[in-house]
Amino acid sequence: MLGLAPDAASAKAGTGVAKPAKWSGLGCGAGAVWGECQGSGKSAYRAAADLGEPAFRCSCPSRKFPCKHVLGLLLLWSDGAAAAGEPPAWVAGWLAERAERAGRAQARKAVTAARARDPKTAAAREEQVAAGVADLDRWLADQVAHGLAQAEKAPYRLWDDAARRLVDAKAGALAGQVRALASVPRRPGWPGLLLEEYALLRLLVRAHAAEGLSAPLRETVRARIGFTVVQEDVLASGERVRDRWCVVGSRDLAQEQLTTRRVWLRSRSGRSALVLSFAAPGRPLDVSLAVGTEIDAELAFYPGARPLRALVAERHGPAVAAVPDGTGVAALLDEFAAAVAADPWLDRWPAVLAGVRLARDGAGLWAVDAAGAAVPLRTGDPWRLLAVAGGDAVTVAGEWSGRRLRALAGWHPEEGVVIL
Amino acid sequence: MSDWDEHVSAALLGTERRAVPPLPGAPPPDGDAAGRLLDQAAVLAVRRRAGLRPPATAAEPVAPAPPEEAPAVPPAAAARLARILAGEQARMLGEWLDAAAARGLRVPARLLPDLLEKGRADRGLRPSIAGAAGRRGVWLALQNTDWAYLVGSGDDPGGGAEVWETGTRNQRVAHLSALRGTDPGAARAALASTWPTEAAPDRAAFLATFAHGLSAGDEEFLEAALEDRGKDVRQTASDLLARLPGSAYGARMAARARACLRAERRTVRRRRQTWLVVEPPHAHDDGLARDGVPFHPSGSFAPGGRGPVGTRAAWLREILARTPLATWTEAFGLPPVEIVCLPVAEAADTGGTGDAGAQDEPDGRGTRDVHIGWARAALRQRDVAWARALLKGGAMVDEPEALADLLAVLPPGERDEAAAGLVRWVAGQPDLVRVLERVPAPWDGALAEAVAGVLDAAAERAGQRHEYVLTQLARLAEQRLSPAVLPRLDALAARHARAPDEPGRAAAALVLTGLTDTLRFRTEMIKELVP
Repeated sequence: MLGLAPDAASAKAGTGVAKPAKWSGLGCGAGAVWGECQGSGKSAYRAAADLGEPAFRCSCPSRKFPCKHVLGLLLLWSDGAAAAGEPPAWVAGWLAERAERAGRAQARKAVTAARARDPKTAAAREEQVAAGVADLDRWLADQVAHGLAQAEKAPYRLWDDAARRLVDAKAGALAGQVRALASVPRRPGWPGLLLEEYALLRLLVRAHAAEGLSAPLRETVRARIGFTVVQEDVLASGERVRDRWCVVGSRDLAQEQLTTRRVWLRSRSGRSALVLSFAAPGRPLDVSLAVGTEIDAELAFYPGARPLRALVAERHGPAVAAVPDGTGVAALLDEFAAAVAADPWLDRWPAVLAGVRLARDGAGLWAVDAAGAAVPLRTGDPWRLLAVAGGDAVTVAGEWSGRRLRALAGWHPEEGVVIL
Repeated sequence: MSDWDEHVSAALLGTERRAVPPLPGAPPPDGDAAGRLLDQAAVLAVRRRAGLRPPATAAEPVAPAPPEEAPAVPPAAAARLARILAGEQARMLGEWLDAAAARGLRVPARLLPDLLEKGRADRGLRPSIAGAAGRRGVWLALQNTDWAYLVGSGDDPGGGAEVWETGTRNQRVAHLSALRGTDPGAARAALASTWPTEAAPDRAAFLATFAHGLSAGDEEFLEAALEDRGKDVRQTASDLLARLPGSAYGARMAARARACLRAERRTVRRRRQTWLVVEPPHAHDDGLARDGVPFHPSGSFAPGGRGPVGTRAAWLREILARTPLATWTEAFGLPPVEIVCLPVAEAADTGGTGDAGAQDEPDGRGTRDVHIGWARAALRQRDVAWARALLKGGAMVDEPEALADLLAVLPPGERDEAAAGLVRWVAGQPDLVRVLERVPAPWDGALAEAVAGVLDAAAERAGQRHEYVLTQLARLAEQRLSPAVLPRLDALAARHARAPDEPGRAAAALVLTGLTDTLRFRTEMIKELVP
């Protein structure tokens, strides 16, 4: 619950408010929970939460969202303090309002989607993107013709300008990749890294122009450039896989105007999946997939040469705590090589290493498997993983970049799961 | 030079200056030289990415932690500890740790880094952390120099007798303390063997361990230490001798004390009874200094209830504090309860050395000096009968802290009742908070009731000054008060919350609610720890 708090102070205040004595009219039902909290003022604050989305509402003047009253309310609800009942008028009104708004948003979305499907609009966008991609091709050729050496002292503008032009050309995903390159010349061994990135971009440019690509590969290329597939289409026609999926890691990335949550899943039959969710900065992210649990669910995959991104289409039963199946280092490398062969632009892959012991040297942590093969680990704070492992063999899951593993979770037979 | 490296160097210089290196099996050329270089690099880059192997490392797996003996706390307790570590009711951390350790439980491994981090900043927490961190806590601390404080922080200094020869000062003190517990004579012999070569502060620290297992066998050594060069050593030796029954030191002090305090049959207001006549020493001499009473005993200038004590009175207090209490029961032929009730009179001051005026103040100043001296003696000699007598009939209203200290001397069963009496006695005085500070946890039974009453009274008189007192009381109570009084406090808080719109009342209700919240938190916290 406290994961919803906008900051630590709110979480603390929320636990302070989570006292049945401060509340009256606590109740839950119709997918919502509500109550009135006595604050410092005369009249009580009316707080309610729609558990579906989740969405919150409170009559207090706090600018924090969700405020401490809503957090306290949710904590009480999770403790079972709210009795089931009919929502009072003010809650019912809010829920109805929400439903109506959701209906309007749906309608608006349908209009946008319809417009996107309009052949004329689509053709115009294809043209715009093609021009943008051609422009990127010329830019890449310029960089290599003049020599990468100049990149070391080049200002951020060099990449930012190219990225802006791609944004104008409606190739958003491509723009993001180009902008991210600005940091490469500050890393050790940057000339090789930068050439690798430029070469992969050139590959994307040529793949976009190429005729006769297989349909899935074509989708991969289009997704990398910035064409999106709407969720409805994925749910309607995406590949469906039902399995027991373990949630092996979650990582939030705050960009300028959007926070992205990447949740990695691994199925019991060894399939990998990535569920993305987005929220404006400071707004709560999707919490339906908890690291360290397993769900029996049907996933719908986005199309691609190596389908990875997916939506949870249907859940069968509740989430239960579980340890994912893992592999050794060699198997991880093989798996990643196979995935790169299918999707050469693949930059992250969910790795679950089982039976690894942690090793330390001056540079940082390593995970060493039973065969003695080691991969470097990246963690913000190594101590929690070290403490839980205690020198024993553990399961470590995270994002494999091809060079190092960003550890996101660890499992110890006795100490349980640790989320990093 | 590999194909890839050739491509990188060509790209660095630029295809305007460097030809595109040949690559067998390259894709068909498309566009200019730059395009060709990028296409070839793409082929190589994908190959490289797919075939990338992690760099070699010489890092050895971390040595396994020793197996735990204690089980981890139940999940609910672990969740609460995580909340405490995150800042909720942070002052409960020490109690949580001690309670877990007392039940033979340990902190789960994933919370250890946050816990050890707390101990970095707060030294006071370290013993509690050491008690509950388990073996993995020490194992983890060995890998991070920031947490090194946990290593070897236990009571057990580790190692054998060689610690005395090679250890640090703290290790040696720990070794000596442990040895005093089992074989005081051997500890004394060990100390005697190195005594002349130790530095003065070390000598004082080592001598202080004689408090464990003090016996008549130590007298000779301590008497010799009275002549030590180090002031702290001399003081420690005299303090220890004062606690030793039947010592020559005690006899010397008793002789001095009897010169100051004698019983006399007097008739006052037609009542004939025994009076104690007190006459503080007129002069200070070297013998007195040697026996640990300096010319200016500590505290003799401290502003008490009515200004400085004065040197003569301070000497008297120190002499009485160091005199065996049996001296008085023998001299007066009365039990302690009756002795402390005897009226005290000032002797006519024949010295007139400038410290006169004692007899001009018939305000019981003499009584106070005598009783404070006895209280210190009872504390030092851990004399239950005297402590009980002083707490019941003592006259030290001005120095209730001294009485509060005596509570520790009483057997546990009597403490609550005696403390409750003391609390009721000083209720409403500014001393109240200082007294309560000295009453150790847990506050139970009659004491808890008395404290609840005091809280009620303080909330009732909610004003600027009393609000401060109430806050301070609540601060102490939330850590020590037994949760058994929760219902009463709840009712109190509710009553003050309903009170008419007085700003003070609302604030008082808030403090009381905070107190009940904390007490409830503590109750749940302890409940969760029961496996």
